[in-house]
Amino acid sequence: MSTNPAAPVQKFTPAPARSRFARFFRASRGDSPFKRLLIHLTLILACVIAVYPVLRVVSVSLRPGDRLLSTSLAIIPPDATLDNYLTVLLEKDFLLWVWNSLLVTVATALIGVALASTAAYAFSRWRFRGRTAGLIFLLSTQMIPAAMLMVPLFILAVRLNLVGTYRGLVLAYSVTSIPFSIWILKGYYDTIPIDLEEAALIDGANRLEAFWRIVLPLSTPALAIVFLFNFMTAWNDYLLARVFVANATSIWTWPLGLQLLQGQFTTAWGQFAAASIMVMMPVVALFLYSTRYLISGLTIGSVKG
Amino acid sequence: MEKLTLDVILASLSEVGSTVLFILVGVVVLEAVLYLLFGVVFKNKYTLPILLLAPAVVGLTLLIIYPLLWEFNLSLTNMSLRRFGDKAQYTWVACQSADPGTIQNWLTDCLLRNYADVFRLPVLKQVYFFPVFGRTILWTVINVVFHVAGGLGLAILLNRPMRGRGLYRTLLILPWAIPQVIAALAWRGEFHYEYGFLNIFLTRLGLTPISWMSDPTWNFIAMCIVNIWLGIPFMMVILLGGLQSISQEYYEAAEIDGAGAWQQFRSITLPLLQPVMTPAIILGTIWTFNNFNIPFFINQNELETSDILVTALFRAAFQYNRYGFSAAFAFVIFIILLVYAVVYIKTVRIEGIYE
Amino acid sequence: MKRSLFLTLVLVVVLALIAACGGAAPTPESAPAEKAESAAPTESAAEAPAEAPAAEAVTIVMWTKEGEADGGLQYNQALAEAFMQENPNITVEVVKKKDVEELREDFQTAALAGNAPDLLWTVNDHAGPFTAAELIQPVDDLFDLSVYVEGALEAVQLDGKTWGVPISSGNHLMLLYNKKLIPEAPANTDELIAKGKELAAQGVIPLVFNQTEPFWLVPWLGGFGGKVFAEDGVTPTLNTPEMVNTLKFLYDLKYEAQIIPPESDYDGSDTLFKEGKAAMIINGDWSLSSYVEALGDDLGVAPIPQVSATGKMPAPYTAGTYFMIPAGIEGPKLEAIKSFIQFVTNEENQIKQVKELKRLPALKAAFDDEAITSDPILKGSVAQMAVGTGMPAVLEMRCNWDAMKPELQAVLADQKTPEQAAADMQAAAETCIKTLE
Repeated sequence: MSTNPAAPVQKFTPAPARSRFARFFRASRGDSPFKRLLIHLTLILACVIAVYPVLRVVSVSLRPGDRLLSTSLAIIPPDATLDNYLTVLLEKDFLLWVWNSLLVTVATALIGVALASTAAYAFSRWRFRGRTAGLIFLLSTQMIPAAMLMVPLFILAVRLNLVGTYRGLVLAYSVTSIPFSIWILKGYYDTIPIDLEEAALIDGANRLEAFWRIVLPLSTPALAIVFLFNFMTAWNDYLLARVFVANATSIWTWPLGLQLLQGQFTTAWGQFAAASIMVMMPVVALFLYSTRYLISGLTIGSVKG
Repeated sequence: MEKLTLDVILASLSEVGSTVLFILVGVVVLEAVLYLLFGVVFKNKYTLPILLLAPAVVGLTLLIIYPLLWEFNLSLTNMSLRRFGDKAQYTWVACQSADPGTIQNWLTDCLLRNYADVFRLPVLKQVYFFPVFGRTILWTVINVVFHVAGGLGLAILLNRPMRGRGLYRTLLILPWAIPQVIAALAWRGEFHYEYGFLNIFLTRLGLTPISWMSDPTWNFIAMCIVNIWLGIPFMMVILLGGLQSISQEYYEAAEIDGAGAWQQFRSITLPLLQPVMTPAIILGTIWTFNNFNIPFFINQNELETSDILVTALFRAAFQYNRYGFSAAFAFVIFIILLVYAVVYIKTVRIEGIYE
Repeated sequence: MKRSLFLTLVLVVVLALIAACGGAAPTPESAPAEKAESAAPTESAAEAPAEAPAAEAVTIVMWTKEGEADGGLQYNQALAEAFMQENPNITVEVVKKKDVEELREDFQTAALAGNAPDLLWTVNDHAGPFTAAELIQPVDDLFDLSVYVEGALEAVQLDGKTWGVPISSGNHLMLLYNKKLIPEAPANTDELIAKGKELAAQGVIPLVFNQTEPFWLVPWLGGFGGKVFAEDGVTPTLNTPEMVNTLKFLYDLKYEAQIIPPESDYDGSDTLFKEGKAAMIINGDWSLSSYVEALGDDLGVAPIPQVSATGKMPAPYTAGTYFMIPAGIEGPKLEAIKSFIQFVTNEENQIKQVKELKRLPALKAAFDDEAITSDPILKGSVAQMAVGTGMPAVLEMRCNWDAMKPELQAVLADQKTPEQAAADMQAAAETCIKTLE
């Protein structure tokens, strides 16, 4: 049950006429210059659409004063200044918030990956009773509206004395991200031929060793994806942090910190934008670094071909 | 307020470190107990998978199943702002009439009244369940269609050796890397009547600017624009990976057979992408259906005509304080999605689940 | 053979771990860490205990609605610092909530879980939901309330009790104008429309205000002689000729006279006025300090113009900011809270608040200070407050707000007639009040 995903599923029907645009829909080398130009133009347009709104945020962050709105379409305002960045960095506890977020997020992602990678292995290699139900349950947890669990989770946190601690946040994030991680990893393990492990077993390794030495190293792309997803979830969370650590200003994560800049009617938009740009950086960097994993890890991973 | 000092760093590191250690010790103890129980005493052949699953199961039970049960219990109660607090003055919903009569009446009037109310009372102030449900489906379909179409289009364009490919890919992923809340807030400004760039463009082109915030139709379109913008990169990345795993040989063979571009796309690309696309679509659908940030933050004027189910749920629970009702409402949403996923999985038969 | 080996291995690891972390197990290690953290913000307090060892150390966690953008939060924190200097045994931790709504939601959630804060710095209409849920305690017996402005007290009185101590009074809307664009404020609506048309002809936007919130509708309703509740204070009266006239008036401002922009929310109005593109804005006292900063001496303040059709002055809602004390707070903690509240509302700090935030004081005595009497802006604000009415704090008001909001928007988007909108408002409010039970 571990066929290559690239195996043909359906036979194509040959057609008599051969189109000039035959290669347009697939990867190919010898594209004509005109076509290449067209492709580049389309991609440039798409990039502009993708990037422009972000640049507008940059523009707000460079504007002096608290002007969110401006009729100018220029990205760099004539009176550009880095004041907002300096204020956020030097006068606010921005570094503390980012540090807290980073700490919680990294711990979460590591624990989440560790718990999910073993559970996913069990789902992939054994046919025990309740396995299907378990997988459906895991999928169904993705369907729980986040607002639904907020109140009971908070009550639980109060009873377990987890409110206002890093511990509470790390536990909550790492567990809530487990189901999705199991899904991705289980799918990826499925594509790893079981023969490899069997060979190892014959050589005298036990099952755990086979998992540790063969399956895990082969799954690096999927593990990277899961790490990235867990990281993103924890890094961006506001809903849980808002109730878990609201009173402990010393462990505020950045989403809580940024709300300081907002008031009932008035918001320090310039500083808000500057801070937004700065918290975006680590995630963008992580994405840039892991693009290649993203592409190989998710695809094969999400299903069994 | 405090600053990030060395002391703070050390203190926080030690707490997080102790948490990790605590979990580690907990896991080891749990594993040892289970191993003794199943491996040594019962000699169960599933000992290893049990050991592998145990930590995740314990965590999920505590942090997901328990809250779910709590919420389910709440959905049977009459809890509202007037019956609140640790005195637990709320009880299971009381019957409206002393003698409920038939069992069906007893269910809809007593035990499951909150559930029945979801369908027969307005879920917010004026809108009823089904219009919101319909809008949610419309929202989901529009978004997922555009995500897949846009993602596929870009993936096909990128799936070729060319100059600047890495740069394009990086820039195109950007919307995904931005924290959603920030993206939503940034976009909200762009729909401003005077200052949003959309209206500025329209005005410069000599067209009438659009009332994005107060016109229900345009507000809904605004929500869709933002979410489509946000969601395309995920699909693009997944589909690009799928395309890369399709061997060139198929296309070469097809070309020799004289298959046209469209035919190649339909008979090679699409079917071979299927295994990648199906789970991506399921996940995409669920995430879109449950997307809270975009509809909530873009709909700044709180038009009820722009609410989808999850935002309506949030308002019912936290703005209107109908706790028992909104718990029932949450379960209705949950069940709809569950049915969708099970039906979809069964018809498409993802082998990962059924084999 | 292999199995027993594995078992031994597991046991050895477990024992080793237990032995290794026995001393350094989570609890003993993290406890000092927490202490170290909580010690940092209380340094000022930590130095003092030697002088006053008798007093028991008390920590007050206060949630505030104030933000940094208008200096409100900094003012909060400065007060807390100053208070802690004087009372070394008391620590006041100021925790900022994102906005008023979130403060309410989170307070309810926290109270439900038994983890509520000790003090709230918030707005009057929270008294409605919080008393309905029995989450706060009355303050009548704790303070001498006669020193505070009556208008501010009324806005938190329910069931014959007072549920909050006012920190500032006002929170009311007024007309602010840019003297460069319009030298004198219009006295009535006819003048407003006439001058507005002149301004529009010159390419200036005559008047802006937040068209999405019914808070900006209510003053005009008062000007047309209407009220949102009947005499009993809880029965909505939204489907009235007065409401229809008010909605018609606003509709005409937009579509007939065309002196307000086609779409305008809070941020948009604010920016237009600050940039000098709009001649007049209707906004609240909370915005005064930022407009003084933006326009300087060109800023003028006047009451919202008299409604020519009725000869009445529009009546914006007045309230203020308030301290609310959660239910169940007692003993030394309550005493500490009391002294903090008295500190914040003493004359010196009330005048400081006037100077820093341009908010009117809650303490009667502070009104005679020259900080107010010599300031034309604040005098204008006082004049407007004089014709305002207290904002209802009852839970039913929430239903009225929610009922009015979409209908106001529908009328201004030209999607409903004023008559239809008024009828729908009333129906929505009544349905909502039923679900409160």
